Amino acid sequence: MSRSNILKLGAALALVSAAFAGPALAASGAKSPRTLGYVVTQWDYATYESPFADECPEGLAVGNDEYWWRGLSRADKDKLTNTGLIQPIDRRGTAVLRGPQGEDVCWKPEIVKDPPMRTVKGKLAFGFNLDGTTDGKATPKSCAHEKFTGVDNTPGVDNQVYRLLGCLYGWRRNGVMDAYDDEERRNSGRGVILMEITNVDDARNDDAVDITFYRAIDPFSLDATGKILPYGSYRIDMANGKPRYGATAKGKIVNGVLTTTPIDLSLPYYANSIFAEMRLRDMQFRLELPQGEGKAKGLMGGYYDFDKWWEYMMKAEFLVATGDWSCPAMWEAAHRLADGYPDKDGKCTALSTAFKVEALPAFIVHQDRTAAAR
Amino acid sequence: MIRKLASLALLSLTLAGCGPTEPQTTGGPAVTRRLTESQYRSVIADVFGPQIVVAGRFDPLLRTDGLLTIGAGSATVGAAAFERFHALARSIAAQVTDTTNRDVLVGCGPQDLRTADDSCATEFYSRIGRLLFRRPLTTDEVRDQVKLAREATAVRGDFYTGLAYGLQTLLEAPDFLFVVERANGKQLDDYAKATRLSLLLWNTSPDDVLLQAAEGGKLKTEDGLKQEVDRMIASPRFKDGVRAFFTDMLSLDDTTNLQKDTTLFPAFTLTAANDGKEQTLRTLVDLLVTRNVDYRDIFTTRETHISNALGLIYRVGVNDPSGWSRFDFPSDDPRAGIQSQVGFVALHSHPGKSSPTLRGKAIRELLLCQRVPDPPGNVNFDKFNDPDSPLRTARERLAAHANDPACAGCHKLTDPIGLALENFDGLGQIRDNENGAALDLSGDLDGVKYANGAELAKALHDNPAAASCVVNRAFTYAAGRQTVSDEKAFVVYLEKTFADSGYKFPSLIRRIALSDAFYAVSGQGAGQSPAAAKAGTTEDKS
Repeated sequence: MSRSNILKLGAALALVSAAFAGPALAASGAKSPRTLGYVVTQWDYATYESPFADECPEGLAVGNDEYWWRGLSRADKDKLTNTGLIQPIDRRGTAVLRGPQGEDVCWKPEIVKDPPMRTVKGKLAFGFNLDGTTDGKATPKSCAHEKFTGVDNTPGVDNQVYRLLGCLYGWRRNGVMDAYDDEERRNSGRGVILMEITNVDDARNDDAVDITFYRAIDPFSLDATGKILPYGSYRIDMANGKPRYGATAKGKIVNGVLTTTPIDLSLPYYANSIFAEMRLRDMQFRLELPQGEGKAKGLMGGYYDFDKWWEYMMKAEFLVATGDWSCPAMWEAAHRLADGYPDKDGKCTALSTAFKVEALPAFIVHQDRTAAAR
Repeated sequence: MIRKLASLALLSLTLAGCGPTEPQTTGGPAVTRRLTESQYRSVIADVFGPQIVVAGRFDPLLRTDGLLTIGAGSATVGAAAFERFHALARSIAAQVTDTTNRDVLVGCGPQDLRTADDSCATEFYSRIGRLLFRRPLTTDEVRDQVKLAREATAVRGDFYTGLAYGLQTLLEAPDFLFVVERANGKQLDDYAKATRLSLLLWNTSPDDVLLQAAEGGKLKTEDGLKQEVDRMIASPRFKDGVRAFFTDMLSLDDTTNLQKDTTLFPAFTLTAANDGKEQTLRTLVDLLVTRNVDYRDIFTTRETHISNALGLIYRVGVNDPSGWSRFDFPSDDPRAGIQSQVGFVALHSHPGKSSPTLRGKAIRELLLCQRVPDPPGNVNFDKFNDPDSPLRTARERLAAHANDPACAGCHKLTDPIGLALENFDGLGQIRDNENGAALDLSGDLDGVKYANGAELAKALHDNPAAASCVVNRAFTYAAGRQTVSDEKAFVVYLEKTFADSGYKFPSLIRRIALSDAFYAVSGQGAGQSPAAAKAGTTEDKS
């Protein structure tokens, strides 16, 4: 199907035709570069799991509530359970308040010391080789760390966030964290991310394209059952005449797979009623473009700014019961495993990570007015 | 130069004077018809303001001779329907007199809220009753309402509760729920004229200015009538009247019951269904009122408005996903005319698939005013619905089905038209094949051959029945009844003048509104009193 869609109203407004037109136009020999628009529908930590959880030989990590319960006196347990007659139903609000003076251990993770967190010991992971080494030795932009082999046999893969989260119940398959995150973004329409691939001469093979990330101000277009529909229209979130979020990467398409050169990227991260900015450095992207209609699927990797990453974990304190993690243990492990961008003291300030990304064809509306943030 | 201009002006006037003159008609019967739901809602909003919530269900009207408006002339209000009108009246009366609205909408009140105030009640019922009944209330009617309010106030100990009780009885009175046309000799009386005008042009009851014109006898004079008609056509409210007419003519209210299999058509939502109807109405109003183009362009236009819900179906971008955006389909796009829009192709399809027969029937009946006979009761769909059939396209399956002589006659009328729209699936999404087989969109409409939907659009545009249809529908809609034999010459006259005007729809409506035929009355039904009408509220109103 080949249809060009031009909106005649609205000065300075360009409409991006969605991916479905790509192959047809390429086949027709059209010379003018094309644009492919996508809306990100799924954005999850890329967690590799073997059938028998061999990557977690010590078992899954011990969660906050278990440490909390262990630390309670018999009198406290009697009080919380009405002398054993009920479950402690309000543990979600109180279990994290286990500092010496009842402090929140997610907001003050150093105030108590938990046993070391169980982390991934496996050798395989999804991700990219971000520092260029295969032995994990320190470089000007990385601290010494253990490397993974890519699930696709890529040597020297960096993914310390997976090492941290891979043995946490909440972030594994059938866990709740990523599923809740995607569901909330879908239902609330907040933090919707757009991808616009421009200068596309051939959607299957093109040695020079650009990909720009934006945040949308419009919610997802949903069907009657709540599923995200393709071909929705989304306006870019603008502030003072510029996109509020996003950046442009150079890339190329080989056999329908887009890869990019590293860039620094800042995107909104709405999830579980939490807003935290996602700041990735050296972001790399690999996206399989669908032939004809369908979803684009890919992998994004980069160094996640530690403070921004922890901001989400800290604000997610009310989810430690369902996600099963200990903030103090995670805080300690995250600092120990941080592998990117050492500060002047040699202490790394970022964690290598990777996300699985899925996207549907969409129309991206450029407008020249300032949009209110949601 | 001046001489040339003067000559041209004189020529224009001469030509205008040479136009066809309106044939004499004796008219049809005066009618009594129930307010439609949209009219009811418009009247309440006009009289009391849009803040008054009209929350309730209305009994459906029976489409008669192509229009619900004509069906409204035989509508009944049974016990269950009256109960609903009663509940609505009670709710509206309570809102009008509550502490939020009473200062503005009532505008007067007693010193002591526990006592009656006959003076205030008289002023209120006289003012509101005139707008609701579309005529001044008689002295007896006002007196009865005031007495009712006084007695209710005494029982309930609250003036506004008593006033609301009286208002409630006005809102459930037959004089409000039914338009009761009265005649003055061979013409409708002035209030009935005003009501016909207002329902036609604005889809609501007469406003204060129009009622004043009726009271002052202005509508009896050519100039007075013209002044009011032109005022109303120039008003933005004229668009409401045009929307109401086309909603009725195109059966767009059927959208309310539209269902699709969302497994097959995930982009179908209630929003999309409603937006499909709205798109067609916006297209029509934009073309016919705002831009005043040739009516027949509605069959070929690629200029429209879309919402995000429709963009998902059309697979085009929308510049304002939160609302409506002007959108023009490219000149080579297969989508041309309102008959290619979601509001038409989705409405005239099955829940899980397209239907060339339903679409062809709809075009014949709704757009060309041609009757397609109902299928026989024992029709056999086996060949068409056979899931194991090697026939992959609707054209092939229909051909097999229409081999049955009992079916062939009607399918010849409908299918060639509908098959031209087969590149729109059951929801109206573009497709270029059916079950992997290429689509053949060719056919002919009354001898005019076409290769695809865009050429069908042109054939519809040029088909004389298209213009004739809207003329007939407009007049019967305006009169609220089917034409009588004596009016045939008048309808021919309307068709001629419509063509002479360049098929300008406002010009057609204006000509109807200014015609003698529109107000002519003969036969039974003329001159009913309110009391007589009241006596018939729970019986057939024929």
